[in-house]
Amino acid sequence: MKERIRDLVPVAALFLLVFGIAGYSPGFMRPDNLLTLTADTMTLFLMASGVTFVIMLGSIDLSIQGVASMTSCIVAAMLPEYGALALAVALAAGALSGLASGLVVNYLRIPSFVATLAVGGIVTSVAYWASDTRSVYISQEDQDAWLDWATGNFLGIDNEIWTGLVALVLLTVLLSFTRFGRMVRAVGSQERAVIASGIDVDRVKLAAFVLSGFMAGLAGVVMGARLGSGSPTLANEFLLPAIACVIVGGTAITGGVGAVWKTFVGALIVAVVRIGMTFVGVTVFAQQIVFGLVLVLAVAITMDRSKVATVK
Amino acid sequence: MTAVLELRGASKVFPGVRALDDVSLRVDRNEVVGLIGENGAGKSTLLKVLTGIYRLDGGELFVNGEETVLRNPRDAFDKGVAMVFQEQSVIPTLSVAENIFLGREREFLKAGFIDKRAMNRAARIELDKVHLAIDPATKCSALGFAARQMVEIAKALSLDGRIEGDTVILLDEPTSVLERREVELLFEIVRELKSRASIVFISHRLDEVLDVSDRIYVMRDGKVVHEAPTATATMHDLHEHMVGRQLDHQYYREGRQRTEPGPVVMRVRDLSLKGRYRDISFDLAEGEILGLAGVVGSGREALARTLAGLSPPDKGTVEISGRRAQLGKPRGAVRAGFGFIPSERKTEGMVAGLTVAENMTLAAPGQFDSYGFIRFKAERAEARRWIDRLRIRTPSTDTPMQSLSGGNQQKVVLAKWRIVGSRVAILDHPTRGIDVGAKEDVYELIRDMAQEGIAVILLGDTLEEVIGLSSRILVLRDGAISARVEAPAGGKPDQIALIENMV
Repeated sequence: MKERIRDLVPVAALFLLVFGIAGYSPGFMRPDNLLTLTADTMTLFLMASGVTFVIMLGSIDLSIQGVASMTSCIVAAMLPEYGALALAVALAAGALSGLASGLVVNYLRIPSFVATLAVGGIVTSVAYWASDTRSVYISQEDQDAWLDWATGNFLGIDNEIWTGLVALVLLTVLLSFTRFGRMVRAVGSQERAVIASGIDVDRVKLAAFVLSGFMAGLAGVVMGARLGSGSPTLANEFLLPAIACVIVGGTAITGGVGAVWKTFVGALIVAVVRIGMTFVGVTVFAQQIVFGLVLVLAVAITMDRSKVATVK
Repeated sequence: MTAVLELRGASKVFPGVRALDDVSLRVDRNEVVGLIGENGAGKSTLLKVLTGIYRLDGGELFVNGEETVLRNPRDAFDKGVAMVFQEQSVIPTLSVAENIFLGREREFLKAGFIDKRAMNRAARIELDKVHLAIDPATKCSALGFAARQMVEIAKALSLDGRIEGDTVILLDEPTSVLERREVELLFEIVRELKSRASIVFISHRLDEVLDVSDRIYVMRDGKVVHEAPTATATMHDLHEHMVGRQLDHQYYREGRQRTEPGPVVMRVRDLSLKGRYRDISFDLAEGEILGLAGVVGSGREALARTLAGLSPPDKGTVEISGRRAQLGKPRGAVRAGFGFIPSERKTEGMVAGLTVAENMTLAAPGQFDSYGFIRFKAERAEARRWIDRLRIRTPSTDTPMQSLSGGNQQKVVLAKWRIVGSRVAILDHPTRGIDVGAKEDVYELIRDMAQEGIAVILLGDTLEEVIGLSSRILVLRDGAISARVEAPAGGKPDQIALIENMV
């Protein structure tokens, strides 16, 4: 029961925020405005959805913004010549960087924040190389030919939203109905017991990092498609909000507890807060301050302190 | 004469256990008091009370004749009670001097900075007291076990000059990591210390306690059961008091002990792990319960962890049903047919955040999922079956594991291995932290397992438990098997006979 209530706090917070802003500016509640807002949120959600799995393990993936920037560059640079293959390469590169993070964590026994910080650096270099250190524009024809699934619309709803919803459903199934999802939860809750039960914990971790890399890669492709260009700094400023989405939604940074739908709600909260700040007149420069504060607050609330004897 | 340290009618209760029951004990000036008892007798709890880690639930504590409450180890230290810990609390990255004066840096401040030379000079004086000829500026990581222990003792002794009353130093199993020669040195220091301080010496090695102390207390089941001056004590008497009551045959379901052993299911040959155990060989039959007896550090815990795949052996082989087991990882051990019930239930036995059903099927990938998708119906049905069979008290199959009692959690861990179909169950202190009623339930379930042909390796919480449940016992001492004792129903061996092979 208590858990049920705690589950619903983020949802309640989202509604409060929406109605609060609506009171301030009634135009906010217009359906097309809400849909645009949701569509704008989806790239952030895609990035945060994969890292949800990693955070549920009790680990972290700091490479996601670098990975997203990299895939935007790969797609933009390769589309004119290779078409669909560019998409495949971009997504594979995303998954591959996740694989690299996972292998470093597993075989060198390095904490994930260091491993993914390093991988983030490497992929940023790849992005500079792929883009020749510039923004690479995606022509309208290429856009129409290969990226319509991300930027077009279907039944009057932007395809970003459809992409986000498909990811939400698939990842929820993965987390809640498969053995893999359960092992992610188990490892995050009590890794030593899972190891002692004869489970290959390294494989579970590896898969989670690959998933995180893949989703970040997908987010980068969609981001590039929306903006019509790829750039090595495209997803900068996205790491903090993405982690904030996961935590604000109610997934514990200490692992073991969480859900993809929670991250979805968290992403909407972050988006609404962002819009809200613009309405209230907080400058863009100060917005990261608010995200920082929200993140710290959310971690303070959701963290399982019985699990960490000392905080470093 | 007032005692330096005294407990009157002290009691401490934990859920389901009276850890200390009306304990009275006094330590006089310049006296060495020995404290002995089996694991779980209450020695550790007593120490934690005397160092301010636990508060008493009843009774009184006097330090230097004044009734007092020790709020924490620091408070106890300031009042003159210092503990030298069994697991050493020396910080390896700090120097010897910094360790000795940890928390007292203020005394060496000079213009806001620590005057290291003054600190080293002061440390030199403390080190001289324990005849430790090392440079106080040495990093403790460079010291051996024995030297670190001496640094701890020096730290405890540094109390000397600071407090008004007398100093009491608690030595908890101080010899377990020391070589023979170092033990001699330690005893010499203890005898010398007597002129300046009082000492409580805790050990399971009776010979050492007899050697060094003036008076001896024996604890059992949370009570002080015997007290005598060392001059009149004998090894045999102390053994008897430690062991106490006669075996209760019914308690351990001896009537259900299997008489004729089944076919051999497991063979261990020349298993060795450097520094832990060596040349371990034995056979185990289906339905047999094999007890492992030995003190802490005898190698039995390490051996159990090896069979669980948690600490690979250096050499030797283990076969189950004629097939060689790969013990490099827990996965290999599980595949070979081992099921490990660890002593640390909450960290290694169960996943607190998962439900009862999820914990039960944790070790059985593939049994309750198709293509990775969990078959919830089949899983719940299996969980319900085992909840009934093992009489697990839980509201439902989907109840979070953490809301179950210790005994019921342990049953879920047992069910986990029954579901996998383990051939050999390794029970490492299966009744630790479980209340009395639930203990009997667990004994019943262990007998059930044996009846159904599962071989059991048991590391009991007490010697009595090992003797009561096992049909055969291996005694380990210093990493090697020191005795093999048959324990048929109705012909159980004497505890004293086992202890003699343990120490």
